Amino acid sequence: MIEWLTDPLAHGITLRALTEIAILGAVGGAVGCWVVLYEISYSAESLAHGMFPGLVGAALLGLPLLMGGAIGIVLAGLVIAVIGRLTPDSDDTAIAVVVTTLFGLGVLLALSPDSPPGIQALLFGDPLGVKDSDLVVTGLIAAAVLAVLWLFHDRLLAIGFDPSAAGPGGISPALVRALLLTLVAVTVLVGVQGLGNLLVAAILVGPAAAARVLTDRMSTMISLSVGIALVSGIAGLYLSFHARVAAGAAVVSCLLVAYLAAATFAALRDRIRRRSLPPGLPTRPEGARS
Amino acid sequence: MDAFSLPFVQRGLIEILLLAIPCGLIGTWIVLRGLAFHSHAIGTATFPGLVLADGIGFSAALGAFGAALGFTLLATLIGRSKRTGTDSVTALALAACLAVGVILASDVFSSGANVDTLLFGSLLAIDSGDLWLAAGAAVLALAASFVFGHHWLAKGFDPGAADRMRSGSTAFDAALLTVVAVTVVATLGAVGALLVSTLVVVPAATARLFASRLGSLQIASVLLVAIEGAFGLWLSAQTDAPPGATIAVVSGAVFLAGLGFRALTRRSGMKPAILAAALLALAGIAAGCGSTGSGGDGPKVVATTTQVGDFVSQVGGDEVDLTVILKPNTDPHEYEPRPSDVKAVADADIVFRSGGHLDDWTSDLISDSGSEAEVVDLSEGLPVQLHGEDEHEHGHEDEHAHEEHADEGEHEDGEEIDPHWWQDPVNVRFATGRIESALADRNPGQATYYQGRARRFDNQIGNLITGIKACLRKVPADSRKIVTDHDAFGYFTNRFGIETVGTVIPALTTEAQPSAGDLAELEETIKREKVKAVFPESSVSPALSEAVARDTGASTDYSLYGDTLGPEGSAGETWLGSMKSNADAMVKGMTGGSQSCFGGASD
Amino acid sequence: MTEAVVIAAHAGLGYEGRTVLRGLEFEIPAGSRVGILGPNGGGKTTLFRALLGEITPLTGQLEVTVSTATVAQTDRSRLDYPVSALDVATMGSLARLPWWKKPGRAERERARQALGEVGLSDLAGRRFGDLSGGQRQRVLIARALTADADLLLMDEPFTGLDTTNENRLEELIDHLAASGRTVMIATHEVEQAERWDLVLCLNGEQISFGDPAVAISKPVLEATYGGHIVEIPGQPQLGVLPAHHHGEGH
Repeated sequence: MIEWLTDPLAHGITLRALTEIAILGAVGGAVGCWVVLYEISYSAESLAHGMFPGLVGAALLGLPLLMGGAIGIVLAGLVIAVIGRLTPDSDDTAIAVVVTTLFGLGVLLALSPDSPPGIQALLFGDPLGVKDSDLVVTGLIAAAVLAVLWLFHDRLLAIGFDPSAAGPGGISPALVRALLLTLVAVTVLVGVQGLGNLLVAAILVGPAAAARVLTDRMSTMISLSVGIALVSGIAGLYLSFHARVAAGAAVVSCLLVAYLAAATFAALRDRIRRRSLPPGLPTRPEGARS
Repeated sequence: MDAFSLPFVQRGLIEILLLAIPCGLIGTWIVLRGLAFHSHAIGTATFPGLVLADGIGFSAALGAFGAALGFTLLATLIGRSKRTGTDSVTALALAACLAVGVILASDVFSSGANVDTLLFGSLLAIDSGDLWLAAGAAVLALAASFVFGHHWLAKGFDPGAADRMRSGSTAFDAALLTVVAVTVVATLGAVGALLVSTLVVVPAATARLFASRLGSLQIASVLLVAIEGAFGLWLSAQTDAPPGATIAVVSGAVFLAGLGFRALTRRSGMKPAILAAALLALAGIAAGCGSTGSGGDGPKVVATTTQVGDFVSQVGGDEVDLTVILKPNTDPHEYEPRPSDVKAVADADIVFRSGGHLDDWTSDLISDSGSEAEVVDLSEGLPVQLHGEDEHEHGHEDEHAHEEHADEGEHEDGEEIDPHWWQDPVNVRFATGRIESALADRNPGQATYYQGRARRFDNQIGNLITGIKACLRKVPADSRKIVTDHDAFGYFTNRFGIETVGTVIPALTTEAQPSAGDLAELEETIKREKVKAVFPESSVSPALSEAVARDTGASTDYSLYGDTLGPEGSAGETWLGSMKSNADAMVKGMTGGSQSCFGGASD
Repeated sequence: MTEAVVIAAHAGLGYEGRTVLRGLEFEIPAGSRVGILGPNGGGKTTLFRALLGEITPLTGQLEVTVSTATVAQTDRSRLDYPVSALDVATMGSLARLPWWKKPGRAERERARQALGEVGLSDLAGRRFGDLSGGQRQRVLIARALTADADLLLMDEPFTGLDTTNENRLEELIDHLAASGRTVMIATHEVEQAERWDLVLCLNGEQISFGDPAVAISKPVLEATYGGHIVEIPGQPQLGVLPAHHHGEGH
C-alpha cells in the first residue's frame, strides 16, 4: 500500500508532473473561481488558440516563442474585453469572433516559408514533459497571478456582483474585467505549456464549478476549489501511473468525478434541508438561476 | 473570376452556398441564445466519435454526429445542477468528451493520423457526401426554424416566462440543440473543428450589429455566410492559401469593420461609402498578393510526401514537372490542402502516393479534384512489409516470410501495414523501379534518361546499405538498442538488426498522450538495458523525449528524420541524406558519441 | 435653508450629441427627500447617470457637491452570487479606497454599522440571495452608506414591496434625511411622490420642480405622462398607469 503511494515519487517524470500540477492546480483553482463567477469559461478553453499569430510572429521576427505567445494571448484577452463591451450579445460571441479570426490569421502567417514546422505544438505541453526550469517559471508566474488576485479580490467580487457598484471614486468595471481576462490569459499560457490545452480548460473550470455548488462564500469557494484541484490532480497522476491511462485525460477524469460528486452531494443536501424546514418557508429564493 | 472555373472550387462554392442556409439561420439562434461556446464545443467534442469511427470502421460523419449528440446530452445532464453556469457546464462536458477521445486514441485504438485529418476539413476537398450532408442540414434548419422559430424567440426573449408557460419548452430546446449539432457536423467537412465558429457565429454576430428584426437578421446572416464564404474561397484560390483560414480572417475583418462602422456612425455620422471603399481596398490588397507558377518539362507528376518527392526527382530529373504536396518538416497529421495542391492533382498525369494512413487524404483529393491521373501507390507490392507495432517491437528474424506473403500488396483485415516503408532501402530500390516504369510509360521518349538516373540512384542505395551496415559494426551487438518518439523506424531497425526497446508516444495522432505508468516503465527499461540515447523525431515536439532522457541520463542530442525529410540545406534534405544522418545519429547515440558514420552526417 | 448639494443650471443631458433631457433648473438642499416623477424614457435614468458622474452635461451645468451612490433595483442583482449581506455592505468602501488598498477591519466595522443603521444587524452573515426583496434593498442602502455617500439615488425602490416593507423603507428614508443625507427617489406613483419634501417632474425636459403641493397639478401630470394618465374612479388622487412598468423581467 505504501509502495503504491511512493512508487510514482521515485520517478523524476512523475515527481515533476506532480509538482507542476500542484502549482497550476493552486493558481488554476483560484483563477477558475473568477472564471466561473464571471461566466467566461469559453475564454479559458479557447484563448490558447488565439496566441497562434503571436507565436508565428515571434518565430518570423526571431523573438523567443514564449514571448510571442504571451503577447498574442494577452492581446487576445484584451481585444475580447473591448469587443465584449461594444457588442449587444454575451462575451461568448466576442470570444468566438476573436479566437477564430486570430487562429485563421495564425494559419495564414504560418504558410510563410520562414515559419518553423509544427510551431503550435511547441507550446502545447504534456504534464509528463515538464522541465525543472519550467517549474521555476510556472512557480513565479503563479505567485504573481495569485498576488494580483489577492490584491483585487474585493474589487473583482464587487464588480462581478454589480458593475455599477464601483461608484465615481472606484476603479472602472471595464478595467477590472480586462484585468481578469489578462490573468486568465497568463494562466492559460503557462498552463498549456505545462499541461496541454485540454487539462488547462478542465483545471480552470472543474474545481471552481465543484466548489461553487458546495458553498455560498467566495473565500470558502476559493479554498475548496484549490483543494479540489490539488487532490484531483494528484489522484489523476496516480491513476495514470498505476492504471496506465493517458496522463492529461486521467487528471481530467478525476476533476470531472470531483465535480459530479460535489453536485450530487449538494443536490442531496438541498433536498434534506428543504424537508427539515417548516412548510411555507422558501428555502431558495425564487429564480436563483433560470 | 477565373478561379471559379476549376471544378473543385465550384464544388467548394456549392458547399458553402448550401451551408449558408443552416449556418445563417441557426447562427442567428446561436447568437441570440448565447450558444456560441456550445456550438464551438460541439465541433471539438466530435473527437471521440471520430476516433471510434476510425477504430471500429464506420462513417466519420456518423461518429461525429453521435459524439455531438452525446456531448449535448452530457451538457444537459450536468446543466441540471442549477448553480453551475451554462458556460461552465459546456466546458465540463467538453473536457469529458475530449478526455474520452484521448483515452480511446492513446490507450484503446492507437489511432493513426487519419483521425486528425478529419478534424481539419477543407472546402477544397468536398465530396458528394459532404454536399448531401450540407443540403440535409439546410432542409432541416429551414423546417425547424419554420416550426419552432417563434418558440425559440420567446424563450430567448424571456426564459422565465417561456418556462412558466411550459408549452413543451424542453422539447423546443432539444430541437434547437439537435439542429445546432447537425449544422456544426455539416460544417466540419468544410472548415474543420477549430473554425466552426467562423461560419456559425461570426456572420450572425456581424448581422446582429445592424439588423434589429429577427427576419432581417436571419436573411442578413445567410447572405453574409454566402458572401464571406464565396469571397474567402475566391481569395484563397487567388493567394493559394487554405480556404478555411482565409474565410476566418475575412469574416473577422468584416465583423471588426462593422463594429468600427457602427461606433463611428453613432459618434460622427461617417458615410457607409467610406467603409465600403476601405473593404474593397483590403480585398484588392489581399488579391494582389496572389501568384502561382511552376515550370519544368515532361509529364506532370504529383508526389504526396517529401520522401516520394525525392524518389521521383532522383529518377525523373529535369524530365518531369514535379509538385510535392507536403512541405519539408510539416506534420502530415495537420495537413490542410491549398488550392495549388488541388490544382496540381487535378492537372496531374501521375500521382505517386506513399500509401497507408500517412497520405490517406490523397484519395479524397484525387476524386474531389476530378483528376484523371494514374495513381501509383508505392506501398503496394513492396518486398518488405511489416505489420502493426506489436510485432516489430520484438524484432524480425524471419524477414523472408514477409517477403513471400507480401506479393499481393494487400493485407489481412484489421491489420494495418506500417506505412514507413522507405526506412528500409530495399523497399526504396523496388519503389524506384516502379517510378521509373510509370514515368517511361507516360513519356517513352525519355525512357533511357529515366533508366540511367534510376540505375545511378540504385547504385547509391546499394552503397548506402553497405555503408550503414559497416558503420553499425562499430557498435557492440548488445548496445544496438534505441528508444524513439513514435514508431516510425520499424523498417530501419528491422533491416539493420537494431532493437527498438520502446517508444515515447503511444499512438500516431497528435492528440495522443502517454500515461505516467508507461513512461516510468520505459525509464526502467532504458536503465536496465543501458540504452544511451532517446531519439526525438525532427517534426515532433521533443518535450517528452527530453524528459525521459533527463531522468535516465540518456542523450537526446541526436534527432532522426521520421515522417518527413528536412528543409533545404539540412542534412536530411534528400532521402539519402536523411538515411545517412539517421544512421550517424543512431550510432553516435548508441556509443555515447564515440563513433559516427559517413563523417558525422547528422551534424 | 442648508446649502445645496445638487445645482442644475440650464442643464441638458444626453448621449453622443443627442439630448434626451433638457431644461434642468433646480437646487436641492442637503437633507431633503426628492421624488422624481416621469414616464419610462422620460430621462430619470439619464439624470441618475449624470449625478453619478458617468456622463457630463451637454449644455449648462450640473453640479454635485457631495459623493453619490446608487441603490439599484434588487431584481437586477445576481441572487446566486456567493456573498453575504456584510460582504455586499463592505463593497461600498471600494468607492473611496485607492485601488491598491483592500478593505480592512475598519471598513468591515463601518459596513456592520451601516447594516445596523438599516436594521439588519442580525442578518449580516446571511447569503444575499437568501434575503427577502425588502431586506436585499436595505443591504444595498447599507452599501451606499458604507461608501460615505451623502446623496443616495434610488431607482423605483418601492416596486414589489409589501406594505410592511414599504413602511419600513419610508421610515429608513426619513431617518437618512434626518441624518443629513439627501435621497432622490425615482417613482411612478404620484401618491408616493407627494410624500417627499420636493418633487421633480421629467418628460424629456423639466416639467416642474418644487414642493409637491405646488409642483404637482393636473396639467403638470398631463405634461409629464402624456396620454398615459387616467383618473381612477372613486379615488380622489390621480393614478398613473405606466405603459410598461419595467423594460425587462416580465
